[in-house]
Amino acid sequence: MNVIEKLATREDLISPGISACIGCNVELTLRTVMKILGPNTVLAIPPGCMGGVGVVGWNKQSGAKVPVFFPLLDNTASMLSGIRLGYEAQGRHDINVVAFAGDGATVDAGFQALSGAAERGDRILYICYDNEGYMNTGYQRSSSTSRGAWTSTTPVSKNGTGGKRQHKKDFPMIMAMHDIPYMASASPAYVQDLVRKVETAMAVTEGLAYIHIYNPCLTGWGIKSEESIEVARKAVKSRYFPLFEARHRKVKINVKTRNPIPVSDYLRDIKKFRHLGEAEIQELQRITDERYTFLEAMERVSEEA
Amino acid sequence: MTKDYVAPMGEGIYEVNTGDWRTRHPQMNKDRCIECGICSLYCPVNAIKGKKNGNAKMVFAIDLSYCKGCGVCSHECPHDAIDMIRETKR
Amino acid sequence: MSTVDVLNGNKAAAWAARLARPQVIAAYPITPQTPVVEYLTQFYADGQLQCQMSEVDSEHSAMSILTGASLTGVRCYTATSSQGLALMYEPYFRASTLRLPIVMNIVNREMISPQTVWGGPQDSLTLRDAGWLQLYVEDNQEILDTTVQAFRIAEHPEVLLPINVCYDGFYLSHMSERVEIPEQEEVDEFLPPYTSKHILLDPERPAAVDPLTSGYLLREYRKKHMAAQQAARRVITEVNASYADRFGRDWGGLIEQYRMEDAKYAVVTLGSVTGAVREIIDHKRNAGIPVGLVKVRSLRPFPSREVAEALGRIESLGVIDRNVSFGWNTGILFQELRSALFASENRPAYIPFVGGLGGEDITLDLVNSAVDQIVENASSGNQIESAVWLETNDARSLS
Repeated sequence: MNVIEKLATREDLISPGISACIGCNVELTLRTVMKILGPNTVLAIPPGCMGGVGVVGWNKQSGAKVPVFFPLLDNTASMLSGIRLGYEAQGRHDINVVAFAGDGATVDAGFQALSGAAERGDRILYICYDNEGYMNTGYQRSSSTSRGAWTSTTPVSKNGTGGKRQHKKDFPMIMAMHDIPYMASASPAYVQDLVRKVETAMAVTEGLAYIHIYNPCLTGWGIKSEESIEVARKAVKSRYFPLFEARHRKVKINVKTRNPIPVSDYLRDIKKFRHLGEAEIQELQRITDERYTFLEAMERVSEEA
Repeated sequence: MTKDYVAPMGEGIYEVNTGDWRTRHPQMNKDRCIECGICSLYCPVNAIKGKKNGNAKMVFAIDLSYCKGCGVCSHECPHDAIDMIRETKR
Repeated sequence: MSTVDVLNGNKAAAWAARLARPQVIAAYPITPQTPVVEYLTQFYADGQLQCQMSEVDSEHSAMSILTGASLTGVRCYTATSSQGLALMYEPYFRASTLRLPIVMNIVNREMISPQTVWGGPQDSLTLRDAGWLQLYVEDNQEILDTTVQAFRIAEHPEVLLPINVCYDGFYLSHMSERVEIPEQEEVDEFLPPYTSKHILLDPERPAAVDPLTSGYLLREYRKKHMAAQQAARRVITEVNASYADRFGRDWGGLIEQYRMEDAKYAVVTLGSVTGAVREIIDHKRNAGIPVGLVKVRSLRPFPSREVAEALGRIESLGVIDRNVSFGWNTGILFQELRSALFASENRPAYIPFVGGLGGEDITLDLVNSAVDQIVENASSGNQIESAVWLETNDARSLS
């Protein structure tokens, strides 16, 4: 069965009506991922977009057909470690224990908890949907926000100066360096790749599996809803967000873009970058080239080892 | 479990009527559609369902109940088989 | 047959945790609690404790791990002190409002600043309104017995709240005493296994835990929580009696009264300072002074009725607080007590003593002087509004 038939026939385990923005590719990613994970799953959704849109429910109702709960913003990985230990104590070894967390809860406030769980080798599957900011609460910056981007806490002045000063934290690489059994970056525009990565991560038994998904935010970045997937695709085609895997730090690049598009092409249809001048765009191209060169070098070393 | 919870729990599914949101809806043109299913891959609300009759190839149809009218299906369709039509007053 | 050993307070706590057979333990070391973690990991390594043990990265993670584990319906245990308790405050508040019956020993330690590691209940008293049950103990036997009882209190179907058993850092944690360790089989009968019927994450019965909640519903949950604290008053008393029946040691339940029958004067205490006060009570009684002791064991729920009744015929009393309440200019126990006394018709004279902060001793001399002041205060009937300090010579020579 190919991926299209698989996804068209598997049960959608999220409520059919959630208040995600029109065209939101995080909603798409969550539904896709849950079709693969299946009903034997406990799902942690920390404060953020997916919590805000109702996946954890309201009052006495739920927003998902699997057990789902709100961790705190900063302890998703720890609560999941505890849940895994609780099930192990009861001899229930086959339950998927999964986080679906935004970059705020992962790269900023929840980093310590995640790093601790990764180091301990706790058997959880942690998925981060990276929309480059605290979008649910009004687009505040996170350490995963791109350099130069407008956010509500790094706004742009009337004469076009401002935006976030620091480059995007290279979080997939940070997690890869935790020496975990499986780390993968993924995109909602590359569905077969994403599905394969979720299936691989589910099968990991010796420690923490981590997937970092790049989800351009339509409302927060200023993208037309119908271009949702196209922009996500361009992030990969420009190599700004490369798709790769790391198994105990051994790197494999999955999508080898033969003729990468310039980063400026990727930035063009995104309002939050509109104010960038030539120099700032060049800087984003430079960091893209630098990180990709580094990644290729790591892949070479991994092949030789 | 009765719903007289002592601690915050929720059972049963909460649904927002997102079909009410849209200002345009997708219309599939089967004379251009090749049933590739790419639209179903990218619909964020899982509105495009596939159906298989025995060994025949899977065919796709849009269920508008929760469709928010984002236009991704139309944009991603490789054969321009989906048009986005303005909603008229309902 | 129970065994008798010489244990420091931390080892007594570790023994109680071991006997209770928790299924998940996550504890982060902090002075003066660290030996508890070390004893437990040693028990675990030696195969004497079967559980899931997490080598956790901070106290915030420790309480997070336990809230997660408890949501799968298993018995959980941890311990901490001062800065660690402060760090875990975020998931700590949630453990009680999710009604998770986690048991935690707090090895009471002063809060920084100034820089300090020494004992005192400032840490746990400052968090007294986070919804947990809180019991305070006087010696190492009481640590062991009360911690075992704590599991039964917390998991009682009318309570279902997490519980702290607090003991003074260094005074108890690092001091060795004769302690009787009950037999595992006896404790197994006293503590049947825990299963959760009220909040659970289980794919066999999908549900959301902690959906976003409107005000009217939050109000209902708060009311139920407060009712559970009130139910705990009865449960704490019953569990104490049940334990006394089986193991032969009765700690009094919510409060303990010592030589109060015909007392005209009283000292009210919390924690290990009670030991020094007992000695002085006996000393004064020998001299014919009718003074008694009320030891508050349960701070949450606060035993307002019991305390008001015990002090109903007292002319003059003093509270010894090893902590401060900054805005009131007294200690914390004093305020709680005065609030409870207001309901009774008796209006005794009172003195809010504060002493023993940051590792300073509350010596027998200081307690003796405190009782003298209480007795003297009876004639004037003064209700003193600000702290009367019990200071050793060290402090006086510096100022």
